[in-house]
Amino acid sequence: MPTVIFQLPDGTERKVTAASGTVLMQAAVSNGVQGIVAECGGNASCATCHVYVDADRSELVGGPNDVEDEMLDFTAAERRPTSRLSCQVELSDALDGLVVHVPEEQV
Amino acid sequence: MSPLTTAAPGAPVVDLDLADLRRDPYPAYAELRRTAPLAWVPSVGRHLLTRYEDIVHAEKLPEVFSSREEGSLLLRTVGRNMLREDDPDHRRLRSAAEPPTRPRQVRDLWAGAFERTAHELLDKIADRGEADLIADFAEPLVAANLALVLGLRDASAEDIAGWSRAMMAGNSNYADDPDIWLRAEQATGAIEDAVARAAEAARREPDGSVISSMVHAAEPVELTEIQNNVKVIIGGGVNEPRDVFGVGAWALLNRPEVLDRVLAEPSSWKRVFEETARWVSPIGMYPRQLTQDYEIAGLTLPAGSRVALVIASGNRDESVFERADEFDLDRPHRPHLAFGGGPHFCMGAWVARHEVSAIAWPLIFDRLKGLRLADGATASDSDSAAGRMDGWVFRGPTSLNVTWHAAQAA
Ligand code: FES
Repeated sequence: MPTVIFQLPDGTERKVTAASGTVLMQAAVSNGVQGIVAECGGNASCATCHVYVDADRSELVGGPNDVEDEMLDFTAAERRPTSRLSCQVELSDALDGLVVHVPEEQV
Repeated sequence: MSPLTTAAPGAPVVDLDLADLRRDPYPAYAELRRTAPLAWVPSVGRHLLTRYEDIVHAEKLPEVFSSREEGSLLLRTVGRNMLREDDPDHRRLRSAAEPPTRPRQVRDLWAGAFERTAHELLDKIADRGEADLIADFAEPLVAANLALVLGLRDASAEDIAGWSRAMMAGNSNYADDPDIWLRAEQATGAIEDAVARAAEAARREPDGSVISSMVHAAEPVELTEIQNNVKVIIGGGVNEPRDVFGVGAWALLNRPEVLDRVLAEPSSWKRVFEETARWVSPIGMYPRQLTQDYEIAGLTLPAGSRVALVIASGNRDESVFERADEFDLDRPHRPHLAFGGGPHFCMGAWVARHEVSAIAWPLIFDRLKGLRLADGATASDSDSAAGRMDGWVFRGPTSLNVTWHAAQAA
């Protein structure tokens, strides 16, 4: 069961444990992590589940898929090289301890 | 699961007059949120769910709060369609239709034409010095844009707007008026013909439109499915962006100091869009039907119960939005519910955002110098010479009469 750390814009941290295969957005939402809005429920159509993956794990997490890449151009907070839509990131044991940063705004 | 058309045991029964709701639903919603956040309303034939948190909760459980509501007016008007389906059928249809409405497609494929159409419409009225910004500008603009995105090349803006109006009337025909049904049937018949022709053309020559995308979808979509889904899109695709445009323009024209700030800082048009959609949501509510017994808002609803998620009310919930009745661009960012949530998140969201906040609003204020509401309108008027706000299932100004300095218009 990988653990993920969400760093919130106010500086606080939320540690969340979820089964391998769980989508990162789902792990956030079912644990009530503030700032992951996820309006479209994980269908890559709203761009409100944006996160910045911590730089040192970014390669392991990988880059966005095509639809996601398009949506990332339209997030409320600026897009960065490590930007992902959390609904498109699947957790695995290899990602245990992953740190992601929640942006200031999603809408 | 057959729909239950009575109150769940223990549910408070609240009589609401539909005419009152159309005029101004917000006082009734405030009372419901306070005293009966889940109430059976006989005139609507559903339980109204009115608090923000409960609505969000329901939206996130599509397997309990099913979109397959039997006997819904929308099904009667347009036939089976993705709005009233659950996954996987909903998913198949949505994936087929969605690519042309994604934001990059909007920017790269459609934005140029949207802008040209807006200029053409303004060219027609610029010298007049007065207009109804709904009938003379917003409605023809969004209707023409929609024809383009859908791929209905033979349909005029008037066709699209007329069809939309007729179907919308059917879709909110709670009074069961036979004339309204007849007009809706004529409109849907005309759409079926137009879609059949467009689908045929797109089969030979793909054009990036919604119809084309559905014709060439990886998972096959039948012609009837394309027709019915285009009907639904025409319904929402006209009145929602038109109404957001109208409400936002209304709000700014009533608040000159806010308008000045926005004009000085064009990036804030996005905020105007989101706050407008929160303040007066163009879609006020949508129905769901329970697939199992479920407890929400302190009551257990039996399977088959009909529920309306009243997003217009959730968007005015004081526990989430301070001074929720006020239009305030500076309020802390909290997600509004105007686009709905979960798998049915509004497919037209990116089209509407672009055509309204990047094109329609900036252009009218740029080209129609000295734009103001026609005489007699004041900040609190919802019924004045400038126009009237109307509706609860769908809500927006039915007209927006304005004047400007014609001589200086570009
Ligand atoms: S939840 Fe909507 S894009 Fe991820």
